[in-house]
Amino acid sequence: MILVPITYKGGVYRLDEVIDYIEDLGGYIVQRHNIASEVVLQVLMPKEDIKRLAAFSRPLAGEIQESPLVGTEIAVVIPSLEIHHLPHSACDVAEYLRSHGSKSNMLGMARGFGKRIAQMNDEERDLINEHDLAIFVLGNFASCIETKFVKFRPGITVPIILTGGPDREVLEKQTDPPVAGYVGGLGRFMHRTQTEADIHRLDLVIEEVKKVIEARRQEIANDPLSVSPARLQALIKQELPEIEEVYSPSPIAVQLNGLRVKLSYPDYAQKVRDLVIEDEITVGDVADVLPSRMRDYILIRIKPLSETNIVV
Amino acid sequence: MAGLDYFEVECTEDGSDNYIKIATTVLQDHNLLGIVEGLHIYIDPKYPLFVATGFIRPPRSVIKISDVGNVLIQNDQATIAVGDETYLAALLKMLWARLGHDNVDQPDRFTVIIKNVEIPKDLKDWVVIDPSQSLFKDLIYAIQVIAPEGFKVRRENYGKNRFSYAASENTLPADDVEKIIAERFEKMEEALK
Repeated sequence: MILVPITYKGGVYRLDEVIDYIEDLGGYIVQRHNIASEVVLQVLMPKEDIKRLAAFSRPLAGEIQESPLVGTEIAVVIPSLEIHHLPHSACDVAEYLRSHGSKSNMLGMARGFGKRIAQMNDEERDLINEHDLAIFVLGNFASCIETKFVKFRPGITVPIILTGGPDREVLEKQTDPPVAGYVGGLGRFMHRTQTEADIHRLDLVIEEVKKVIEARRQEIANDPLSVSPARLQALIKQELPEIEEVYSPSPIAVQLNGLRVKLSYPDYAQKVRDLVIEDEITVGDVADVLPSRMRDYILIRIKPLSETNIVV
Repeated sequence: MAGLDYFEVECTEDGSDNYIKIATTVLQDHNLLGIVEGLHIYIDPKYPLFVATGFIRPPRSVIKISDVGNVLIQNDQATIAVGDETYLAALLKMLWARLGHDNVDQPDRFTVIIKNVEIPKDLKDWVVIDPSQSLFKDLIYAIQVIAPEGFKVRRENYGKNRFSYAASENTLPADDVEKIIAERFEKMEEALK
C-alpha cells in the first residue's frame, strides 16, 4: 500500500470525525497544527482513499491538497548563524519549506563562513546526513561558491540542492560532480522576501525539492520499506506515553525512510527496539535504532524489504 | 539610493546588484540613510577584498535636557517634567553620574526631581546624548553587516566627515588598500562637487 502525502485544512467542527475517518481509511496524521480556529493536518494516506476523504469533508468545508513535502525532514544549511544570513535568507527558505508541509531544520556551521577559511566538522556533516535532503544557501559570488562548496561536500550522502546569487546555469556549470538541484538568484540578501520575484525564487526551491523528493520516493517504492515511518510514529505515540511530555514542536519527526524520536537514546532505545508492531515482529527486526547527533535523540532507520524479507 | 548623493558598488565579478540591495537594506535598517552622504563599495571576490569608502553629513545636533522636558527650578529643588520619554533612560543615567544617585528622584513616570544638591544654573543645557559619538560605531557595525561574513581581518578609519573600511579573510595588502581608498575618495569628491 503506497501512502500519499496530503494536507487537510479545516475547522474544528466535527474534526474528531475527520481524524477517525482518516485513521479508519488507513491514513496516519504526521503532524497537526492548530491555527486559531483552523486546523491543518499533515497526513499520509492511501491514494485511492483521498476521494473518499474529500467527499466526507466536503460538507465541513475541509480542503485537501496533495503536498509532496509532508513526511520529509530537510536541512537548510547556511555558513553560520550570524546576522549576515539571518533572519533572511535562511529563515525565509526554511519557513517556506515548512509552509509546504516539510519539517525543516536550520543548520549554521561553526566555521562555515569565508572562502579559504570555510570548514565543516564531522558533527555538522553527520547531522546533515540525518536528513532527507540538504539545501545549501550560499552567497552571491560564483568564484566564492566554487571554492567553498567543495569543502562542504565530502561525506554528505543525502541529495544536495545548491542555491546562490549567480544564475542557475553558472552554478550548474561550476559544480562538479553535479548535485541534485540548483536555484540561481538566491544568494545572501538582507530584506524580507515579499516581492513577487522573491517569492518566485522560493517557489523554485520548492520545485527542486519536490523533484528530488519524488525521485527518492520512487526509489524507495522499488524496494519498499519494511514498515511505513508513519505507522511507526503512530505505534510509538501509542506505546510510549512519555512522548506526550516532550515539548518540541514535533516530538517525532517523520522522514522518508525513518524517524527522529525526541526521547533520550540511553533511556529509551531498547524500549523502542522491543515495541511489537504485529505478530511478534518488533521494531528492532525491521529498523536500526541509532543514536542521533542531535542532542541525545533517537534516530530510526527503517530497513528495506530486500534486507528483512518482512513487510508489516 | 534615496538619501545618498553618491552610491556605487564596484565589483570585479558579477554580483554587484545584490550588494546594492544589501547595502540599501542595511543602511535603512540602521537609520543611516540620512547620515551617509556618499558610499562607494569595492569588492574583489578573487583575493578576496572588501573596501567601503564614504562621506557623512554633519551629525545631528546634541540632545539637551531642555529637549527632553521642561525644567522648573524652585528654591533648592529642580523638577524636570519629561515630555519625550525616548531619552529618559539616558537622562537619568547622566544625572546619576553627575549629581549622585541619592539626589535624583523619579517619583513617577514623567517627573524627575533633583534635590539636596546645589542646582546648576545651566541645567537645562546639559547634554543628554551626543549622536555623533555613537555614529562611528553604528556606521562601522552596518558596514560589517554589509561586508561578506568571514572577512575578519579588518581596518577601519574615521575622520571628520569621511570613513573607510577594508576587510579580507587574508592579510590586507596595505599598499593596494591605500591606493584603492585614495582613488575612490577622489572619484567621490569629483562626483559630489
